[in-house]
Amino acid sequence: MDFQLMLDSIGPLFRAIPNTLMLTVTSVMIGFVIAVPMALLRMSKSFVLSKISAGYVYFFRSTPLLVQIFLIYYGSGQFRSELEAVNLWQYFREPWFCAILTLSLNTGAYVCEIIRGGILSVAQGQWEAAQVLGLSRFDQFKDVIFPQAFRQALPAYGNEVIIMVKASSLASTITILELTGIAEKLIAETYQPLEIFIVAGSFYLMLNFIITQMISFGERRLNRHMARNS
Amino acid sequence: MSEQGNAHSRTGIELQNVDLFYGQFQALKNINLSVAQGEKVVICGSSGSGKSTLIRSVIGLEHHSSGSIFINGERMCTDPKVMAHVRRDVGMVFQQFNLFPHLTIAENCMLALLRVKKISKEDARARAMTYLERVHIPDQADKYPSQLSGGQQQRAAIARALCMQPQYLLFDEPTSALDPEMVNEVLDVMVEMANDGITMICVTHEMGFAREVADRMVFMDRGQILEIGDSEEFFTAPKHERTKNFLDTILSH
Amino acid sequence: MDLSILSFGASGWGDEMLVGAGMTFAVAISSYALALLIGVVFAACKLSPIAPLRWFGNFYTTVFRGVPELLIIYLVFFGGEMLLRSVAEGIFGYDGYISLPLFVTGMLCIGLGAGAFCTEVIRGAVLAVPKGQHEASEVLGLSSWEKAYFVIFPQALRIALPGLANVWQVTLKETALISVIGLVEVMRAAKIASGATHQPFTFYMYAAVLFLVITSVTNKGFVRAERWSNKGMER
Repeated sequence: MDFQLMLDSIGPLFRAIPNTLMLTVTSVMIGFVIAVPMALLRMSKSFVLSKISAGYVYFFRSTPLLVQIFLIYYGSGQFRSELEAVNLWQYFREPWFCAILTLSLNTGAYVCEIIRGGILSVAQGQWEAAQVLGLSRFDQFKDVIFPQAFRQALPAYGNEVIIMVKASSLASTITILELTGIAEKLIAETYQPLEIFIVAGSFYLMLNFIITQMISFGERRLNRHMARNS
Repeated sequence: MSEQGNAHSRTGIELQNVDLFYGQFQALKNINLSVAQGEKVVICGSSGSGKSTLIRSVIGLEHHSSGSIFINGERMCTDPKVMAHVRRDVGMVFQQFNLFPHLTIAENCMLALLRVKKISKEDARARAMTYLERVHIPDQADKYPSQLSGGQQQRAAIARALCMQPQYLLFDEPTSALDPEMVNEVLDVMVEMANDGITMICVTHEMGFAREVADRMVFMDRGQILEIGDSEEFFTAPKHERTKNFLDTILSH
Repeated sequence: MDLSILSFGASGWGDEMLVGAGMTFAVAISSYALALLIGVVFAACKLSPIAPLRWFGNFYTTVFRGVPELLIIYLVFFGGEMLLRSVAEGIFGYDGYISLPLFVTGMLCIGLGAGAFCTEVIRGAVLAVPKGQHEASEVLGLSSWEKAYFVIFPQALRIALPGLANVWQVTLKETALISVIGLVEVMRAAKIASGATHQPFTFYMYAAVLFLVITSVTNKGFVRAERWSNKGMER
């Protein structure tokens, strides 16, 4: 085992972490913004709206993330002139834009299902109770259903965030040098895969650990709130 | 016989100075009880009094911390060989039935016959049917547990235990998980078994049943045996104040 | 979009894509089989009363669930080859070029990652079998092996099936990553074809559709398996 190499690789790998975090955090936030309305569409009474949402979820959950990234980054090149006409090509030729767009759409589909599961887990009586109190449909959702649904969904949501940390590594396939991208570069240069793997892997495990702690902190807070009210 | 009263009497179940701890909590305190072959003993007491723990420790589902438990003179311990030996002589019926949901009723009865007794499939099936007839559900043999009512499931569980032809049968609140209208069909089967002469130790709240079959009654409270007595005497003239209170509450409804 | 390039034969890329899809399916099936094997062994480790086995099991699942598959692929692709070469040189004195077939490398990478998920699914399922089932088997005198094989495992399998179906979907999708080491599965085929035709969207979309087809068809198989395993469960 080459400890000197491990020490030397800590610096470059550590400097790649902000990129990994940037990809993860941005797409988790955008993904959430996509997911909530999609979950509501999915449960709407309109057949067309619900099918649109179902189709979105089906496509992004049933195909590999790599296909999705290539489809958006390389695939958009096939429509370059069309995209230039509407002034969008300047975005689609950027790896960062494509990576975040894909990751957001991908996680949005998973989170949509997580939120929908959470909402369905809230007892029918909660809707009815909110309804007889005269709350508007929007308030029923915002004040009564969603808080309970989110608490129910939080463990699965936390899991999804950790999956996104790992998924951000796919950005390296379209030239973004985040943690895995740097690791691959170092492995190819040094031909010492195990040493680099140990350092980069440890960084990933640390990120996961921090996120897990944050999620369980959030869970405790939400449950404390519930305990006080019961 | 001369061995009567001897600590190592050849037959029967004997508990001597048994203590059992769960961490700091003492679930059994200095239990002394002997059950002779052919005897029917009913253990009663409020919940948490240790009565289930007592019979579970007889069959090695709980391990006592000190004291000794003898089954037919063999001293119970955590050695798998000894436990296997004991479990050949002692059967158990659970409150929650614990039938194997992925096996039919007949397969539930046959599993241990095939694997432990190692008898042929035909013989195992025949024996399973014999005992399913004894509990009056031979027509349910090829159904799965979930297709049966609670009372039928518990009778199937009794048949499964009887198939192993144990000398002793332990019942852990066999009717507590049942709907009221199903309690009697299970108790009737247990009375029939008692009349057939099998040795029984029952934990139950069914005092009517206890009066009918029990030779002796045991009353437990907070991990201790407060009173052991002849069943007639126990019901008519309980010695202990707590026993009186318990019987009053349980018989008043 | 001119879809004639998806036709078969010399002028179209349809046959290359289908061969790639076949390779994808083959890698996925072999990796999944490996993952199931790993899952059973490591679940047994994690449930074992022997502490070092538990640590080993925990170490494996923590690392392989927490680290990106792509990083594992680089480790196995580069590392496996070097390990093989040093073994060949050290023990057999052979110092020529030697490497693992890409298919085997791919199977190892994907199988090792998916194995960690299988381990968790199987462990969870075993723990979900009620305690009473253990007790009933014990008082009937079944040995611990008989208990595991005849009573606990069949029930755990039923509980594990939805989770295992999920792991299959994940495994299938992850095989796409194997394209980075050059195995010509459906993604690699799409890359080659789009390089030649300058129609990347067409080919990556076609790859996506092939994945959708495999996912949907195999999903039906799992639904059937679940229905079969639920015999005796519904009232």
